[in-house]
Amino acid sequence: MAAIEFRNVIKRFDNGKVTVIPDLSLEIKDKEFIVLVGPSGCGKSTTLRMIAGLEDITEGELYIDNKRVNNVAPKDRDIAMVFQSYALYPHMNVYKNMAFALKLRKVPKKEIDKKVRWAASILDIEPYLDRKPRALSGGQRQRVALGRAMVRNPKVFLLDEPLSNLDAKLRTEMRSQITMLHKRLQTTFVYVTHDQTEAMTMADRIAVMDKGVIRQFDTPQKLYAEPADMFVAGFIGSPRMNFIECEIKRRNDYLTAEFAGNSLRIPSAKTKALEAYENRTVILGIRPEDISAYSGGMNMQESCVITANADIAEMTGGEVNVYFTLENSRCIARIRTERKITSGDKIKLLLDCNMAHFFDKETTKAIGRI
Amino acid sequence: MHKSLKKYFPVFVMPVLAAFTVSFLAPFAMGVYLSFTRFKTVDSSEWVGFENYISIFTQDETFLYSLWLTVRFTVVSIITVNVLAFAVALLLTRKLKGINFFRTVFFMPNLIGGIVLGHIWSLIINGILGFYGVDITYDPSYGFWGLVVQMNWQMIGYMMIIYIAGLQNIPEQINEAAAIDGASPVRKLFSITLPMVMPSVTICTFLTLTNSFKLFDQNLALNGKNAETSLLALDIYKTFYDHTGLRLAEWHGIGQAKAVVFFLLVAVIAFVQLRVTGRKEVEH
Repeated sequence: MAAIEFRNVIKRFDNGKVTVIPDLSLEIKDKEFIVLVGPSGCGKSTTLRMIAGLEDITEGELYIDNKRVNNVAPKDRDIAMVFQSYALYPHMNVYKNMAFALKLRKVPKKEIDKKVRWAASILDIEPYLDRKPRALSGGQRQRVALGRAMVRNPKVFLLDEPLSNLDAKLRTEMRSQITMLHKRLQTTFVYVTHDQTEAMTMADRIAVMDKGVIRQFDTPQKLYAEPADMFVAGFIGSPRMNFIECEIKRRNDYLTAEFAGNSLRIPSAKTKALEAYENRTVILGIRPEDISAYSGGMNMQESCVITANADIAEMTGGEVNVYFTLENSRCIARIRTERKITSGDKIKLLLDCNMAHFFDKETTKAIGRI
Repeated sequence: MHKSLKKYFPVFVMPVLAAFTVSFLAPFAMGVYLSFTRFKTVDSSEWVGFENYISIFTQDETFLYSLWLTVRFTVVSIITVNVLAFAVALLLTRKLKGINFFRTVFFMPNLIGGIVLGHIWSLIINGILGFYGVDITYDPSYGFWGLVVQMNWQMIGYMMIIYIAGLQNIPEQINEAAAIDGASPVRKLFSITLPMVMPSVTICTFLTLTNSFKLFDQNLALNGKNAETSLLALDIYKTFYDHTGLRLAEWHGIGQAKAVVFFLLVAVIAFVQLRVTGRKEVEH
């Protein structure tokens, strides 16, 4: 149970030649579940490893529970870490793996036994306590790794892509198990992943990272509804947001976004911010789920109908992912429809104006965030 | 595929099998046979049953002495070579400058032949002992420790390479997990590192054990003239070639019987050692 704070932290590798984290400031509240998300090489694991003490901090300060920990050894930070490869000791059985840290801290045997069995019962691994890690499945190993962290009752739980070695079904199961564990343990969790679905489903707040910089640090709902820039908008949400170049034009008392012979009426809430962009090119962002099949009779003030050729149509069950091209941009729409859509079909699509996002073409920053 | 494999099986196997039979199996069988005979040459052997084997323990006083010396030498060598090789490997798996240079330097003694090595160490040791007016034959313990030093000097580099491979095979995340769990360097060494390099320990112990037990050329070159520091292999050699006269055929038979006992000892000890250390190995 502890807050974590990065104050202008810089991390350089190779004797200062390579800067991985240029300037990081981040405040994680006590008992929060934070997810660091971003593409490979964005610095999220390095950030986590700095909290763990496995990487030195080149410049700046790191505080755990209001204590400066720059030079504190990993064992003295009162943290526990779950690794991507689980990092279980192969020569010890499950019980010994979980008891090892407590044994080193000279915790009485009875208490060790109590704690190990408590964690094992929560994680449902009691029948495997005598087994060596090699005799366990991936999911079971993952739970042992969680159990090893739990018995320590640490101030901070660090999880480095813990689910990436599991299959899709098990990943979903473990996701909810980790969320439940956080609720139960009431401890600060810092979780690293490159999977935005994991981030969205588990986090209280998400830090989206790119090239060592936090692009946005907010709740999953805010990141989805109000992305700060095109990177965040493209990273959060699956399939990713569509980006179309368009020109802002004035039509009597309202503004429109014009692209490929189509005109999208800009909602009044966004008009003020976009006035400065009149007759200029901006990027229109619209999520695939905000595009639907047009069946006539809609309020055209709030929608825009476009006609497109379905390059590819992918049936995913209840929905069809339709790929089409607009203004040289490859777009995708996720449509619920009764009608069968096949590749090559000419289709009419309805864009929800209220859900449109606009980005500055030069800075890629969002225009008119509410 | 399977059929053609069956068809050509003899074509591929026969040459190797023939070479193995001619160069190993036949001489080995002949050696075992000769240990039950008195012989001057292979053609002129006279069957004596177990007499040679009895003579090893009754007539020849050197065998048991050499065996005990060899056992002591092997135990000391296994401990010193492996402890030092592992320590050097630990040092040379750290992120230090010039590591490759040091790895090469430590390995180099292994490239020098045993006889040459024996003579070099004989010069060094006798050079030092010369200051005190004695040489390596002055006291058997000098010869014993001389052999140990020489064995260490030669074997450490080779074993170090095997230990380095073992240490590098430990996933970095295991070491990090141990650091977070709170293991001190010493505790990590004994609780994590050593159990995880058990495959290397097995192979290194096996190699040191067999090489120490079979040591011959270095022993011959360093202090071969001294009967009190003759290890088992050298003792067998001397039983064969240091006797002349009427009982030559008898000593040949005894020497041959010693060689068979020597083989059995090495085989049994190596087998037991492999089973014992192999049981402690783990899959990563």
